[in-house]
This record gives sequence, C-alpha cells and structure tokens, in this order.
Amino acid sequence: MAVRTRRRIRVRWFGVAFILLWSLVPIYWTINTSLQTEAQAGGKPSHYLPPTPTLKNYTSLLGGSGAVPDQIRRSTINILVECGAATIVTVLLSTLAAYAFARMTFRGRNVLFYTVLGTMAFPAYTTLIPLYRILGDFGLVNTYTGIVLVYVSGFLPLATWIMYNYLTSLPSAIEEAGQVDGANRIQILWHVLLPLALPGIVSTAIITFLFSWTQFLFPLVLSTDLSTQPLTVVVQALQGQHVVPSTLLSAAGVIAIAVPAVIGLTLNRYIVSGLLSGSVK
Amino acid sequence: MTEGQLDAPPVTASATGKPAGPARRPRRRFDPLPYLLVSPLALFIVALALVPAAFTVIESFFRVDALDPPTRFIGLGNFRRLFGDHVVLTSAENTLIYVLIGVGLSTVLGIAMAITLQHKFAGRSALIAILILPWALPGVVEGIVWSGIWNANSGLLNSVLTSLHMIDHYQVFLGRHRWRTIALIELVQVWQITPLSALLVLASLQNIPGDLYEAARLDGCSSWATFRRITLPLARPGIAVAMVQAVIATLNVFDQPYVLNGAASTGSSVMVQTYFISFQNLDFGEGYALSLLITLATLVTSFCVVKLVYRTVEF
Repeated sequence: MAVRTRRRIRVRWFGVAFILLWSLVPIYWTINTSLQTEAQAGGKPSHYLPPTPTLKNYTSLLGGSGAVPDQIRRSTINILVECGAATIVTVLLSTLAAYAFARMTFRGRNVLFYTVLGTMAFPAYTTLIPLYRILGDFGLVNTYTGIVLVYVSGFLPLATWIMYNYLTSLPSAIEEAGQVDGANRIQILWHVLLPLALPGIVSTAIITFLFSWTQFLFPLVLSTDLSTQPLTVVVQALQGQHVVPSTLLSAAGVIAIAVPAVIGLTLNRYIVSGLLSGSVK
Repeated sequence: MTEGQLDAPPVTASATGKPAGPARRPRRRFDPLPYLLVSPLALFIVALALVPAAFTVIESFFRVDALDPPTRFIGLGNFRRLFGDHVVLTSAENTLIYVLIGVGLSTVLGIAMAITLQHKFAGRSALIAILILPWALPGVVEGIVWSGIWNANSGLLNSVLTSLHMIDHYQVFLGRHRWRTIALIELVQVWQITPLSALLVLASLQNIPGDLYEAARLDGCSSWATFRRITLPLARPGIAVAMVQAVIATLNVFDQPYVLNGAASTGSSVMVQTYFISFQNLDFGEGYALSLLITLATLVTSFCVVKLVYRTVEF
C-alpha cells in the first residue's frame, strides 16, 4: 500500500508539473519576447531569459505619439466601455429574470425558461450575419450600443442560468421574514435576497466580463473603424501587418491579456463556481 | 446536458401575504410583476436570437448579395454552390480534423488534469487558478502568443528542437504541410478549451463517494482497474458536457485559424469560409446557407455525443 501511495503521489506531481508547464510556458514566452530588443529576439538559439530586459516595447505602444499607440490606447478604452456596459446590463437583466423564474409562477414561465436555456445549445455564430444586417438596418453597426446589445443577448442565457441556480439555492424562509415586516417583493429582492446572492452576482459579472473581453469575430464584423474596435481586433490587425516586429507584437499581446489574466488568477473561485453552476448534477 | 429542473416555487402562495390554502384563493388577481421582470430578457432573446436565427434559416434559400441585388428566392441554389466550391469542401474536411483532434485531445487532457486535482493537496487551489488561465484569455491573442512558439525564424519550438539536435535547421511549421498546420493550430484551441473540460470532469469526480475507492482498495483492485471501473463510469456526465463544449468550440473554430493561417486554404475552417463569403465577397445568401449547415452539424454532433457518452449511475 505504501508503494501504491508513493506511486500515486509521483503520478500527481507529474500531473501538477504538466498543468504548470502547459498553462504558463506560452505566456512566459510572450512576456520574455516582449522584454527583448528585436535583435535579441531574432537570436538563434533563442534567449530563454531576456539578456537586457527592456520596457521599450511597452513604452512605444502605450506612450508616445503615432498611429500604433493611438490605436492601442483608443481600443483599450473601447474594450473597457463595451465589456463594462455589457456586464452591467447582463447582470441587471439576468438577476431580475432569475428572481421571477426562481420565486414566482406565471403563465408561459416554463416555455420562456426552456427557450432561453435552449439557445445555449446553438453556436453563437449562427446569428452573426443576420445580426450584422439587422443592426445595419437600425444604423447600429460601428456603435457601442450595437456591440453591447449583441454581447448582452449572447450572454444573458448563461447569466440567467447561473443566477437562477444561485437564487434557488437560497432558502425561501429568509424572504418570508421580510414579508412579515411588510416589505414588497422588489424591496425583498433588493434588501434581503441580493446581499445574500452577492457571490452569484460576482460570478455572473466576472464570467460575462471575460466572455466580452475574449470576443473577436463579432466586433471584427460589427466594428468598422477605431471609434469602436476593441483591443482584440486592433492587436490582430497589428499582427496582420507583417512589418510589426514580434517583440512589439508580443508586448501588444501581453497588454491584451493582462486584464483577463489578473481576473482569472485572482477571482477564479467565482469563475469556477459560476461555470459549474448546475452543469453536472 | 444542463439539467433545468424547475422546482415548484416555494414562496408564491405566501408572496401575496395570504395563507396558502387552495380554498382561500379561488381566483388570483393578475400579477404583473413577473412579466415586468422577465420582459427585458424575453425581448433580447426574441429580437436578437430567435428572429436572427429565423433569418438564417429563411434567407439561406434566397440570393442575398450586396453586389447582385435584388434579393430573390433560389431554392437550394446556395447549398448547391457550396457543395460545388472546392475551397468550402476543403475547409469542411479541415474542420472535421479540427473537431476530431480538438474533442479527443481536450477530453483526454481534461480527464488527466481532473484526476490530478481530484484529491486535496497543498497548493491545489493555486493550481486551479493557473489551470483556468488559458480559458480566460481571448482566442485571437492566444493565436498571437502561440505564433511566437511556432515561428519559423525565432520560435521557441525551433530553438528547443535545434538545441536537442532533433532538427538541424529551423523549420517552417505552419502553412507548408496541411495536416501538420491543422494539428498545430488545433493545439492552440485545445490550450484554450481544455481548462473548462478539466473543471467539468473534476466536478463529476467530486461527487464520487470516497467509500467506493476504499472498497476497491480492500478488494485489491489495481489503480488502472479502479480508474476503469469507478472513476471513468462515474465521471461520464462531466465528460459528456466537456465533450459537448469542445464540439461546439471546434466545429465553429475561427480565431486560431484566422490568426495563424490567414486566408490560405491550407488550414481554413468552415467558419473562416463563412466570414470570407459573407464579409469579403458580400454573398450573404451563401453565408447564411453555410452558417445553417454548421449549426445543424453542431446540434446533431452534440446530440450524438450526449446519447453516446452521457450515463448517470445510481449508487
């Protein structure tokens, strides 16, 4: 038995080492390249550590004037606005709907609930072309509003599902106490239920924000110029111009993954609980 | 997959402030509040999901071309043109390879990672944080990240293989050889989708009662037998959901081939072709038809995976 335990621990450490290398090596390599000069990055064999670490690539992307820094700065503002707005609207609407689904009966409730969940089985790109054409008819292509509407419609089903699971996990006795005090249902939602549901709301918000940040094809189609293009589209466009050196491109990549990486590393507890909410029972 | 059990809502009767006896409320007053709460959601789903989906189905039978107006009914014309276009057929073949590699590899790796994380140990939650990192990042930037590894002039892979004397000069990994290009691009997507697979399988593993393993140990089962007879069967619900998410992601793969392969047909996927047909050639009708086929393929494949893999075990 001791032999087997020892072997199991050895297998586990192999697994741990694999997960660490698998997740971190590609990211390390990008950071490593971004801290080198163009000449160093072209060395054969490669430098596995930056020989003379420099932030020059970052300062020339973020500071300074010129087309590229302007694009990076503007698209960073765009992605923050679009992700922030999509997150706020999605969390608000999904919480209200989930409250109704979890705590009230009404005609058409099951039909609507299963229709909303059913849309999750469809790939998001099913509606790519029609959404482009419909938004075009309303003059919403290349506007923040258009992009946020599309994001919200895409993320509402999962957000509603997470909030529904969270609210049904709370005992209803706590609301009955509120009713004794004469509070109406909106007051109960706001003062009693929401504070208790805060972890569920945080999960929903983080997952929605990350999903919005990772979008590429939708904004590629729906944003036609720098006024609304998010960072992901601009960084890819830089890569498409083959004159941009790999060191500068790596720095742009690091900038584009910095926010989701920090969120993923620090708030993963909420991401895991949200993603697994009701998925496997 | 997702089990949407609608339990009887517990508070509705008392929400009106009256006791819940059926005799006391022969006819309830119309209650507008739930409709107010769900109407924004319903509006979004109808206007921005159901109506557009209907557009995709209907307009795939029409000639909708910005360069060749007006819109007119052409029956199966769009589909016929798709099946006569060898670039589209090549991309369909490529996508099949993407799906096979992606679903297979992400499932195997996901199970292995979940088993690594099955039992508590020091640093496990930190490892989970690092595990989900690739899932949280934009696929298009991941393509850029990995292009630094596959790069023909300065890539990590070339450098390492040369140092190990496995190749004698730097190689072009992407774009030359079709299957190699597809495999390396799909590896980048596997990097992104495996964390979710691992988490879904891990959630299933944590529902397995510890006494089962204890009993297996007392019966003298080998580790492999325990894995085959206990872990794998009981993890099936999680594995099924993990495979479905991988099917949806890989059949619709766009970001990674678009970044790493561009417009070349070598590693093009059907989603990349949909993009070029619709937004470069402005032939929306054909784009609709291809979207519809991808959606149907995704739904049918997901359904088959659930039928084949999903089993719950009573114990």
